[in-house]
Amino acid sequence: MSDDVTTAAFGAWVRRFAELVAQERDHLTELDSAIGDADHGTNLDRGMKAAVAALDEQQPSSAGPLLTKVGMTLVSTVGGASGPLYGTLFLRMGSTLGDVPVTTPEQVATAFRAGLEGVVARGKAQADDKTMYDALAPALDALEAALSDGLGLGDALTRARASAEAGRDATIPMLARKGRASYLGERSVGHQDPGATSVTLLIAAAADALG
Amino acid sequence: MTSGPGVGIVVVSHSRALARAALALASEMLHGRRVRIEIAAGLDETTFGTDAVQVKHAIEKVDGPDGVVVLMDLGSAVLSAELALDLLEDPAIRERVILSSAPIVEGLVVAAVAASGGASRSEVATEARNALLGKAAHLSVPDQDAAEVASTPVGDEVVGVFAVANRHGLHARPAARLVGEVSGLDAAVTLTNLTTGTGPVPAASLSRVATLGAQEGHRVEVRASGPQAQEAVEHVLALAARSFDETTETPVLPELAPTAGPVAASPGIAIGPVRRLDVAPV
Repeated sequence: MSDDVTTAAFGAWVRRFAELVAQERDHLTELDSAIGDADHGTNLDRGMKAAVAALDEQQPSSAGPLLTKVGMTLVSTVGGASGPLYGTLFLRMGSTLGDVPVTTPEQVATAFRAGLEGVVARGKAQADDKTMYDALAPALDALEAALSDGLGLGDALTRARASAEAGRDATIPMLARKGRASYLGERSVGHQDPGATSVTLLIAAAADALG
Repeated sequence: MTSGPGVGIVVVSHSRALARAALALASEMLHGRRVRIEIAAGLDETTFGTDAVQVKHAIEKVDGPDGVVVLMDLGSAVLSAELALDLLEDPAIRERVILSSAPIVEGLVVAAVAASGGASRSEVATEARNALLGKAAHLSVPDQDAAEVASTPVGDEVVGVFAVANRHGLHARPAARLVGEVSGLDAAVTLTNLTTGTGPVPAASLSRVATLGAQEGHRVEVRASGPQAQEAVEHVLALAARSFDETTETPVLPELAPTAGPVAASPGIAIGPVRRLDVAPV
């Protein structure tokens, strides 16, 4: 099946995400200075660089172990809340996919859904809390809808990216109810959430590398 | 790898320096008693952050049959600790870990004292959770919702009274010394500040003893029941006579005359079994 995703494609996704995070690092940090502790870009860039280095050193030959390796690296190198949160996302995706050489688009969507559930179990965020959830959840809904409408993975991920971007933009007027931003109360209104911004880059990277 | 008895404690903080300093403060309260405490803090010596894998290793290091209490500072420290529980390979360890909502500095002090006295992990966690009571009591009205002392005297009660000789009163260090003295004894011991009327509080709970507000010169009643009630009161009075081993202070003997026989410790009539308590020769 031409739409099946190889292990190499997952590796390319991780590398593409790292690239986007490095490019947007200052922007992410700037967003996080407005409503956080000003380290989201720095932390995630450090974590993703470490994840890529780990894959460069030894890239597992199947998707599950690859994503698990990325998750464990992030847990130990990011430092802030994105460590446990992105770490859990990748760990859940990894354990869902398992030790297989290729995955179908449906399996990819199922893995993403498991990843989101892991993020929710870890961070306990809900819709409109002004977090990464507000971009990731709409993206996965769009991915699943597109696949069940018969679209190929590439087109489905393009739709997912558009939904992530819309979800990210929708965080601007939200009042933060989670994380450091929640300490700011009303002052968090009018600022784009850094977590929603970075997770949109994750979906964008997926559209580039997995589709 | 599991160690011996006693509750282990893990401190999870964004800052390694902060965790080490909190540990140093708490260690002052232990007076040589050993407690297994590990820190999982910072990504390195200077970089702020937490790492769930570090937390997992720390839990495994201090784990024992009595389990572990984990203290965390804020935000991602909690997420990392929760993730650490998921990463533990042995489900038996996970079952005996408690994540405490206590503040890290005050919580570690009372948790370490409780653990050093042989408290169970749920007792250690309760102590840690109540760690702010002393400060709250000092600053305002004592916490009305604080747990009632459930004490029904078992057998005869033994009562003694001491005057606080320490210049700064019964503050954290002498209080910890007192708590250490009575924990491990087979007796239910309470303290009442006769001067202010505060109490009774259980003498085995550092967080509750901290609410007595016992200043220099205040008279404190120690009341004990149980098989080692006698020893408990004798130990406390002897300790009070030594200003709770606060070495910077000159010990002041309480007013009991060593050879004059029983002396009324308070005006009025006392009814009950009489125990004669002599000041132990120094």
